[in-house]
Amino acid sequence: MAETPAEATDDEGIEVVESIAVRFAGDSGDGSQIIGNEFANTSAILGNDISTLPDYPAEIRAPAGTLPGVSAFQVNLSSEEIYTPGDEPQVLVAMNPAALKANIDDLPPGGVLIANTDNFTRNNLRKAGYDQDPLGDGSLSSYRVAKIPLTTLHKEALKHLDGLSNRQIDIMKNMFCLGLVYWIFDRPIEPTIRMIEKKFAANPLVVEGNTTTMKAGYNFGETTEQFQYRYRVTKAPVEPGTYRTVNGAQAAALGLVTAATKAGLTLFYGSYPITPASSLLEELASLKNFDVRTFQAEDEIAAMGSTIGAAFGGALAATGTSGPGIALKSEAINLALVLELPMVICNFQRGGPSTGLPTKAEQSDLLQCMYGRNGESPMILVAAQSPADCFDTAIEAARLAIETMSPVFFMSDGYLVFSSEPWRIPDPDSIPEIPVTPWTNPNDFQPYSRNPDTLARPWALPGTPGLEHRVGGLAKQDGTGNVSYDPNDHQHMVGTLQEKVDRVADRIPEQSVDGPEWGDLLVVGWGSTYGAIRSAVQRSQQKGQKVAFAHVRYLNPFPRNLGDILLKYDKVLVPELNGGQLAHLLDAKYPLKVISYPKIQGQPFRISEITAKIDELLDS
Amino acid sequence: MTEVTAAPQLTRKDFVSDQEVRWCPGCGDYAILAQMQRIMPELGIPKEKIVFVSGIGCSSRFPYYMDTYGIHSIHGRAPTLATGLKVANPDLAVWVITGDGDGLSIGGNHMLHVLRRNVDLNIVLFNNRIYGLTKGQYSPTSKPGHVTKSSPMGSVEQSFNPISVAIGAEATFVARSADRNTKHLADILTKAAAHKGTSFVEIYQNCNIYNDGEWLHVTEADVKDDNTLILEDGEPMIFGKDRDRGIRLNGLYPEVVQLGNGTTEKDLLVHDEQAEGPELAYLLSRLGPPEFPVPLGVFRSIERPTYEAQLADQGRRAREERGDGDLATLFHATDTWIVPEDSGWIPPEQRRDVSTEVSPSTPDYTPDIHHEVEQSELQALMEKRIATLDLPEPACVKAETTLAEAIELMQDRNLGCLLVTDDSDRIEGIFAQGDIFSQVARREMDMDTTTVGSLMTSDPTTLSRSAPIGHVLHMMAGHGFRHIPIVNGDGKPVALASFKSILGFLGDLLK
Repeated sequence: MAETPAEATDDEGIEVVESIAVRFAGDSGDGSQIIGNEFANTSAILGNDISTLPDYPAEIRAPAGTLPGVSAFQVNLSSEEIYTPGDEPQVLVAMNPAALKANIDDLPPGGVLIANTDNFTRNNLRKAGYDQDPLGDGSLSSYRVAKIPLTTLHKEALKHLDGLSNRQIDIMKNMFCLGLVYWIFDRPIEPTIRMIEKKFAANPLVVEGNTTTMKAGYNFGETTEQFQYRYRVTKAPVEPGTYRTVNGAQAAALGLVTAATKAGLTLFYGSYPITPASSLLEELASLKNFDVRTFQAEDEIAAMGSTIGAAFGGALAATGTSGPGIALKSEAINLALVLELPMVICNFQRGGPSTGLPTKAEQSDLLQCMYGRNGESPMILVAAQSPADCFDTAIEAARLAIETMSPVFFMSDGYLVFSSEPWRIPDPDSIPEIPVTPWTNPNDFQPYSRNPDTLARPWALPGTPGLEHRVGGLAKQDGTGNVSYDPNDHQHMVGTLQEKVDRVADRIPEQSVDGPEWGDLLVVGWGSTYGAIRSAVQRSQQKGQKVAFAHVRYLNPFPRNLGDILLKYDKVLVPELNGGQLAHLLDAKYPLKVISYPKIQGQPFRISEITAKIDELLDS
Repeated sequence: MTEVTAAPQLTRKDFVSDQEVRWCPGCGDYAILAQMQRIMPELGIPKEKIVFVSGIGCSSRFPYYMDTYGIHSIHGRAPTLATGLKVANPDLAVWVITGDGDGLSIGGNHMLHVLRRNVDLNIVLFNNRIYGLTKGQYSPTSKPGHVTKSSPMGSVEQSFNPISVAIGAEATFVARSADRNTKHLADILTKAAAHKGTSFVEIYQNCNIYNDGEWLHVTEADVKDDNTLILEDGEPMIFGKDRDRGIRLNGLYPEVVQLGNGTTEKDLLVHDEQAEGPELAYLLSRLGPPEFPVPLGVFRSIERPTYEAQLADQGRRAREERGDGDLATLFHATDTWIVPEDSGWIPPEQRRDVSTEVSPSTPDYTPDIHHEVEQSELQALMEKRIATLDLPEPACVKAETTLAEAIELMQDRNLGCLLVTDDSDRIEGIFAQGDIFSQVARREMDMDTTTVGSLMTSDPTTLSRSAPIGHVLHMMAGHGFRHIPIVNGDGKPVALASFKSILGFLGDLLK
């Protein structure tokens, strides 16, 4: 019996493939992100599983045609469930020589290269550092190269349209490219036409321009003899339901709004713009009809301060930032901790240290969030594993915050913020309420009395008669909350804060494992590396290797059973986009020595990298 | 300010907390606290709606002594907490207590921004021109040349004028008073409370430990009238013990003039705290010794929409335009698509994951094949896929099939077992010879009405074609299975691995 053929060709000469990754690359102004997104959305509507990865340059518009200005967007389509945007693209669309140079190394031999020859001018070649035109010197002979004068064809398609400025025409050329790609991948153009009509409803000429050139691109594919290859990715079997695409910022925004609604609270979000967290501020600012109150603060500290004030006032308070912002917020985070007020602190991590790699992903703030404050400062940490999972994780962070009367770190990163994937839209009624019970009884009220189970103190909101009280950052006595420098009071309070966090482990799910319950190797991950690790482990399992995967969502406290799980495997591998920070925590807490696999390049893990590491460990 | 609601008549004592006041004896803060507690009942605001927020410094102890809600926060950040609090609950009356170091040095940035935003807060800045809590270093309002512990040869820094800073930051209410001018202070605090928007009040406060006597010229009974100009809205600017001097404008610049000898009140500058532009207020903020008296009172008091009111207004407009937020609508507010029920999807918990199937539940299950089989044969077992075996197609029946039909089929085709599939042809059970022995033979049963569905083993263990042959062997050896259905990704049976077929394979391997 033969395996299911990975490739087949149908009647129309279209190659049917299980999955394919396409990368669009050009100047940041070329609109690669837009066509990449449209292509992903259309494919998702057709029933493919999708995963996207934008690769932005840090500069908004670096000089056109230069390597720093290259912006890319990769879309992975699959007929199977996928967890990552794919390792290597099979198709590369290069809008200019710099885009080609920055991306060609990732294209495997036999891959399809579509190059906009109009932009391969001597000047652009020079800016990209090419001595001669790579399209003409035979250096690309191992690829299937389609040389297309995209700009010329695009302008030709629009020449009958009067009234469009040259600038407008120039901006629209990405739509010609999108039309062509739609033809190559056998996708309909109608969803994008609908999007164009909606987006530019006020300007019929722009609608016509975009639509015309996209159709021209599609027809060009059909009429030209240049393309001997077309692809079709069949539908992925996915859970029945209604879907949409979300990126991590959208999912986090939806999650916070949902949490506030489920808690019956006003959502306050105080934030200072910082890449890559700004999109969350923007998403939430557009939701004012949900009584979302966003505050764009004058700096990171003010954002944190306002969040504490809002929490004291009874809102579901949240702030969002990235590593440098967490550093600035640290003193105020400690205030939040000792005031014992509920709030969600979103950390969309980026490459560090210092300003580092603002637009790239890293997981290097784990220890910062765990320990990066003065004094004994235990914090609850939860991490999202995929763009859509930011929804669930934001709700979980809010739930824990309110239940525990504590600030909670919601860890995510730049990769999750910008990547998108299909999201099965939940029924809002199926999401559990978050119980909120502000204190109202003035008899024997003590601001630091404690719930015997959770050790949470009462949420006593200003406006409630008889509960007037003062809280502050000074050391205090439990119960009364009075300032106290008594040695025993201090030790007791520090211990209580720790115990409060420790007890969260009683109320979170146990750690689950994907794969054999015990065996040769356990791969442990957290956060956005989920997709790559899961795919790699699945491949290894299919090869028959006794490998399991545990993805840790709760980073502090760890699930109760995590230690037992780790000890069931001969080896524990911890791949992370940092220098080995989770590995460090695991080594410190459990009686074993894990194998750290750090990657600090500002890029996500490739599946193949983890597979190779697994093979290496199992062979040795 | 917050709407006045019918509240029981409160007294000063209602605002005195149970905490022992711990400022140095003789500190100007006592006088300010006393005036604050005195005016509070007169504001008519229930005390549960009042919040005092402070940062760090001597003045920042203030909230502990007020029996209202309060937060003693961190250095310089009180305006940020107050902003978040006021946005979360605009119904509260929020006071910020700060000092020259807390409010103008470490918290200088927040001070500028809270003022320009015009959040409805009352900010009271105690200015003693020194760092008191840290024991005597110069502050941003210390005069140039001031000798302190951290400036033994004199400060080389230009100082801030808090009133000028507030006016420059677009504050809508700016006033000044002094700790010992109690009546004036009470009046100014009352006006600040009444102002809608950020009120900024600078209070000259004496630190009798580290900078004693800094404001004597403004507070001492015998000299203060000559050294201060009490600002009164709409009144000419007259000052002096004998009220015989005034401020006149000479071109762009102010000058002190003696009244009489042809100079009358009509020649003097008239105060207009509601002037639209900040020019007059700024000009007044620059007056001071030695040439001029120190103005006390309200420099500027103008109307501008508050931050939180505008934010609330946007929320109202958004609800009018888009309706109250509805989660289901929000979730669907973009292109969506529907995956139908028959998409071929199998819930994860029903999937047959080869890796878990070979996973033994107890360690003693692992067959120690390393010792029994040569390495090359072991490799063959692990590398060769089930797909390479020549396995028969399974015989499938439905759950409704009767026992009689099933036995007949098994006899006819010499089958050891039947697979039971659902309407989508996915496997839901297995019915083997063993079941006939164990379940049928010992009981009386109507062969024509009893169905296979009632006798089968539900949800049987399966493997995929891509699994190594070794896995089949493990399962047969470990669990005693004689038949293992091989299914495709949809859960549909495509082959049946039997004990016999594996024996055959092993036989070939050992030849």
